[in-house]
Formats: sequence, C-alpha cells, structure tokens
Amino acid sequence: MKAVKGKNFFAGVHVPDMKHLANGVACEVLPLPETVAISVSQSIGKPSIPCVEVGAKVKAGTLIAKADGAISSNIVSSVSGEVTEIKEVKGTNGSKETCIFIKSDGLDEKQWLEPIENPTAEQIKQRICEAGIVGLGGAGFPTAVKASPRTPVDTLVLNGAECEPYLTCDHRIMIEKTDEIVRGARLLAKASGCSNVIIGIEANKPDCIEAFEKYDDVKVVILKKQYPMGSEKQLIYVCTGRKVGLGKLPSDVGVIVNNVGTAFAVCEAVELGKPLYESVITVSGGAIANPKNLWVRLGTPFSNIISYCGGESVEPKKVVLGGPMTGAALASYDAYTKKTCAGILLMTEKETSVEEPTPCLNCGKCADVCPMYLMPMNTAFYAAAGEYELAGKLGGTMNCVECGACEYICPAKRPLIQSIRKTKAELRKKM
Amino acid sequence: MNNQIVISTPPHVKCKSTTKSIMLDVLISLAPATVMAIVYFGLNALWIVLTAVLGAVATEFVYYFIAQGGFANKCKNALDVCKKWWKQFDYTSAITGLILALILPSTAIWYEVLIGAIFSIAIVKMLFGGTGKNLVNPAAMGRVFMFISFAIAAPVVCNIAPILGEGTIATGASALSGNILQGNEAGISYLDLFLGTGVPAAAIGETCKAAIIIGWIYLAVKKVIKWWQPLIYIAVAGLVGALLALTVEGQSVDFINSFLSLTLSGGLIFGAVFMATDYVTSPKATLGQIIYFVVLGLLTAVLRHYTKLEVVSFVIVLVNLIVPLIDRYFIRKPFGYKREKKEVK
Repeated sequence: MKAVKGKNFFAGVHVPDMKHLANGVACEVLPLPETVAISVSQSIGKPSIPCVEVGAKVKAGTLIAKADGAISSNIVSSVSGEVTEIKEVKGTNGSKETCIFIKSDGLDEKQWLEPIENPTAEQIKQRICEAGIVGLGGAGFPTAVKASPRTPVDTLVLNGAECEPYLTCDHRIMIEKTDEIVRGARLLAKASGCSNVIIGIEANKPDCIEAFEKYDDVKVVILKKQYPMGSEKQLIYVCTGRKVGLGKLPSDVGVIVNNVGTAFAVCEAVELGKPLYESVITVSGGAIANPKNLWVRLGTPFSNIISYCGGESVEPKKVVLGGPMTGAALASYDAYTKKTCAGILLMTEKETSVEEPTPCLNCGKCADVCPMYLMPMNTAFYAAAGEYELAGKLGGTMNCVECGACEYICPAKRPLIQSIRKTKAELRKKM
Repeated sequence: MNNQIVISTPPHVKCKSTTKSIMLDVLISLAPATVMAIVYFGLNALWIVLTAVLGAVATEFVYYFIAQGGFANKCKNALDVCKKWWKQFDYTSAITGLILALILPSTAIWYEVLIGAIFSIAIVKMLFGGTGKNLVNPAAMGRVFMFISFAIAAPVVCNIAPILGEGTIATGASALSGNILQGNEAGISYLDLFLGTGVPAAAIGETCKAAIIIGWIYLAVKKVIKWWQPLIYIAVAGLVGALLALTVEGQSVDFINSFLSLTLSGGLIFGAVFMATDYVTSPKATLGQIIYFVVLGLLTAVLRHYTKLEVVSFVIVLVNLIVPLIDRYFIRKPFGYKREKKEVK
C-alpha cells in the first residue's frame, strides 16, 4: 500500500543518526567461532534451565535450555559440537549468569524442527515457543506471550523505526529479507488474530519504505526522523492514533508490536523449522576499521566479531553494546552475543560524551523532549536529596521508558538516567 | 584495548550545547542593546557597562576564592585556583553584570554600579548556591536594591527632556508611566520610541527596542528561549494596562495609543526578553511557564497603573518568588494519562 505519514508527535530529540557508516554494507555471515558461550538469561523473564550435560554432543538447533515459566524462552545450540562447560560468568550488566560453553566441531550439522505448511494459529504459537523466539528489539520479551494477548487485538504494528543512531541491522534485513518479514508478519497476525498489519519506518530509510509499499496487505507508515520513534507507546500512537494508558499494555488498545527482526525469525521458524540462534548485528562506530552488518551465531565472543571487522582503527573511548542511546557500556570485549544484541559500537572520544556535569540550570529542556511527558529534573533533584517518594511523584519516574532523550539534550550534562534508575530501584524495594 | 575506556549509564551521545554555549548565546543576544546604549549615551554608558560586568565577574571570583575554605592553602596555589575557576566559569555572572548595567540610567555613578553588581552576585546569587540555585533574578534584585538604597535610579515620572546628548539627560530610568499617556502629545512618535531616538531618560539598554528585538530573535532562533514567552508578558501587560487606562476618567486616549506607548516605553520589552526568561528563576514545564508570564504581565500592568513607576524589575523579583510554588503544583500529565473516573455506584 502507498506509504502514509504518521500522526504528529512533537516530543523527542534529533540525534545525528550516523547510519551512513554501515547502512550501505550488505549483511555478511561471520565465520563459525571455535567456541560459543550461550547465556541462559536470554529473555526478560527467569533464566532458562540447562537440559544438557557437560560432554553432550549437540547440533545447531539442539535444545540446550528449557523455558522456566511463562516469560522465559527456550534456548538452542548455535553450532554443532560438544558441551565443554556450564559455569557462571559475569554478564554484560555486571551480574552473574550461567553460560553453556560449546566447542564447535566446524561441521555445522543442523537439527531443525519440522517445517509447517498452512499452520493454524495454535501451531504458530507453539512453534514460536519451541523456537525460543523473543522480541529482538531489545527487551527480549517472549514473542509467544505477546501473540496470545488477554484482550482481543486487531492490529499488528511492525517496528521498523530503528530510531537508535548507528544501528543499521533492521535497515539491512528490511531490504534484504522484505518478503520473509512480510510472511512472518502474516503468520504473527494470524496467530494473534489481527486483521491489519502496519509497519512503521523512519523517514531516513526511503529504500525500505519503497520495498514494503509493494505489499497490498501491509500499511506503511512513515515516521518522522526523531528519537525515540521506535518506543512502543509512541509508535502505536503515531501509527494508529491510539494512546496506551499508564500501566497498560498495547493489547489493551487492541495492538501488538513486534520488531521486524522478530517477524523474520518467526517466518524462518515456521517455514523452515529453524530455531532462533542467528541474528544480524551492526558493528559500527568511529573506532572500528570496517563497519559491517553481520549474521552472528548466538554466543559468539565479541573479540571474534571485532577482529573480523578489522579491529580498532583508533583507540575507542567507549564500547557500547546496543545503540548509543540505551545500550550498556562494556568494560572489555570479554562477552558473548545474546539474542537481543543489536549492535556493538566502538566510539571515539569525539563521538561520545565524557563531560563532567555542571549544576542544573532549570532550563526545562529535559521535560520538553520527554516522549512520556515527564519531568526528569524533578526526579534528579529529589533523588539527590534521597526523597525517592517525592522524586517518583513529581517526576513521574515509574512511567519513564529510559529512552535517554532528556540526558541527551541536557546542556548541563546531568546524569539523569542514573538518578531515574536509582529512584526506580528504591521505589521497587518499597513496593 | 587499553584501560582508558569509560563506563557509564546511557545515553552515550549527547548534544553539543553546554551551559557555557547557552550563556555565550545570551551574551551575544545582549550585544545589539549594549552597542546601542553606547551609541546613544556615549562613554557614560561604556563605563557603566564595564564597571558592572567586571565588578560582577570579580565578585564571583573572590567568592569562589574564599568561600570554600582553606584560604591559606588557596593563596599558595593561586594559579591553580584561577585555572580551576576559569574552567567552571560559565559566563552567568558576566550576563548578570551586563543586564544590570543595561537597566541603569546613564547618570548612575560608578561606585553605585559597583555596589549593585557586588550585591547581585554575592548576596543574591552566590549565597544561595551559585549558578542554578538563586531564587530571584540577580540583576533584577540588584536593580531593586539600587533603587531603594541610592534613590538615584528611581524610575519616577520623568520630564520629556530635549533630545539626548551632552549628558543632560534627566534622571529617571525609564520614559514611562506618568508620561506614557502623554508621551505622544509631547511630540515623540512611536517610531522614536521603537528606535530609541529622541527618547530621553530611559535606562541605557532599554532605550532601543529594535536592538532588543534583534536579541529576542537571536535567542528564539538558537532555541535558548521559547519565542512566545516574552510575547505573552508584553501582550498581557500592554492589553491589561491599556484597559486600565481606559477606565481613568478625563483622559483622551484611545486603546491602541495607550497599548503602544505602554509596550514600547520603559523596560518592559527588555525585562520580558532578557530577565523574565532566565532559566533558573522561571518555571520548568510549559504550562507553568505560561502561568508565570501571564502573572508577570498582569502584575506589571496593575502596578504600573497605580504607582506610576516603572515596576518591571520589582514584578520580576516578586513573581520569581512564587515560581517554586508553580513548579510544585503544575506537574505535567504523562503520555497516556487519563483522569480516573469516579465510580458511580
């Protein structure tokens, strides 16, 4: 369908998108790593339970950890070989997590599920569950749970905004795998009972917009180039005009949102029977020799990826896992990819910001750009005084989506996200 | 990889503007008004500007030097302290000094200006915690202090003196109030008021409205202030003032004439553009800001009408004091907020 403009939404910031570094580079397949380390914490819920022993022979696609509870996900091996170790390591967020180490035999033998032809809604949901598909947008919410909403839904919104600067992995698969994404979206719509499929794409990706216009059952909505357009509630408002209430889920207004990468994974899982063990990662930033988009197996060591991209061209000041607005800063390359990894950025001192904060000027810019219409300066002010209750009440902290727009715009470079996270943690303790 | 990488919470990219760059923009926006002050009032104005700016910056430096303890220690490493001070210096005290100078009449004496600048910085700003912490606008408070203490700069009803020059300008800060309604009769056209030509006795920087409006446009384009903020203040003050003027019996002025003379004379435009919009002393959220500028306008109109004085600085100081209350009670409603319906049983 012909692309239409989305509804106006004014809050947000205009971040230089820096996508030119990698958006012209077609996806390459990273050579198989010698060893992979697959963490059992791959989704937002409980860690999965390992179901293989040390010494077990596995193939690519063999189930190695089972979901523990509803909001957990299955995990499969990403290479063929032998399980060498199951031990606790320090994860990228600093906490301990169990990892399953698998030594690859280099044969890459596969053990996929049976393809399903003309699946029913139930079959699709079950397959999504078996294949261990989680939301690839970043949060890692199990897709099967999303596809079985409590209230009836009529619209599936595909998130192709990719509003984070630098990241181009969604951009690349939208061009290279357009048809698969649309087929995956149809399957997701069928599973959840949606009749409309909308895809929201930011205006800085005209080639993707053109590619999706060819499909008659997909409505393309052009989003303004503005961060954070890919934030769930804002995306729903811009695409459908519906407002999700505070503390409510998108399904309460009849919408489910899925990332384009997730739709692609669903298509592969149903049509080919391939479980989720491979995804596209953007390697970019000013300090990497050759920015690339790579198909990477789950659990690949970062050092492999960096050296495949030619290593550091200059010394990086920050190493970021994910996008620069919400990603986590890493202390070393000693980490392994997860399902939700969207990118690794090596940022030079010039690109990133390491300035010392100066006193708050009360300028109110943080409130002006907040996509949730909150008042971050109040949170920061009262949190600094230890008054977390007031901070939460006057700053609206619990509704914060932590998009980072406030801290981006702050002329005094105040660490607003840090106070917001601290306040959230303190308030959760009291709940 | 070496050990030099930085770990912090996101976001890892930030915008280019800093406190310093914003304050530099404010200084640039004040430049046209300063230049016109020197053109109209000559060396007198230049001395006032220099005294106030240098006095303000020096006060901040001295305060920084002695306030944080370890005085003897600091004296030893004076050079280091100077470097440190320069690193954290954000031009705010220079702006305060410059604004204070521009709202003084050209007859102000140098020591009065100096005392005013020291009061503004040391008492009004630094004692409350420095940049970002002061309760009221330092320049406006300094102006009020000087008015009360020296009575020099009293913005009284002024005579329509002959043209400017020769240093014969009559006392009085602003061509205003008592004479606004007669201003036109005295042979001063609105164009004169707008450009500041032939208008006597105004404060040096408030005279040329055109220069102030250039500064306003610059600030709005640079997104330092929101363009509508001064507009609300000026419009409300002008409209309400003109309505009040209509109620006076026996005056033969029409609405439009009194509106124009009220808005174009005195320190209203200058105060609205440069003093009322000060980040620190204005509300944080848009709704609060609208209320703040409307209250400013109302109070200015009413007080001007009944006191026959130029009251912009007073009003700004007064309304600054209720800003914490506005901030406390006008909290934005989050996206997706719905007022909870009372359940009817």
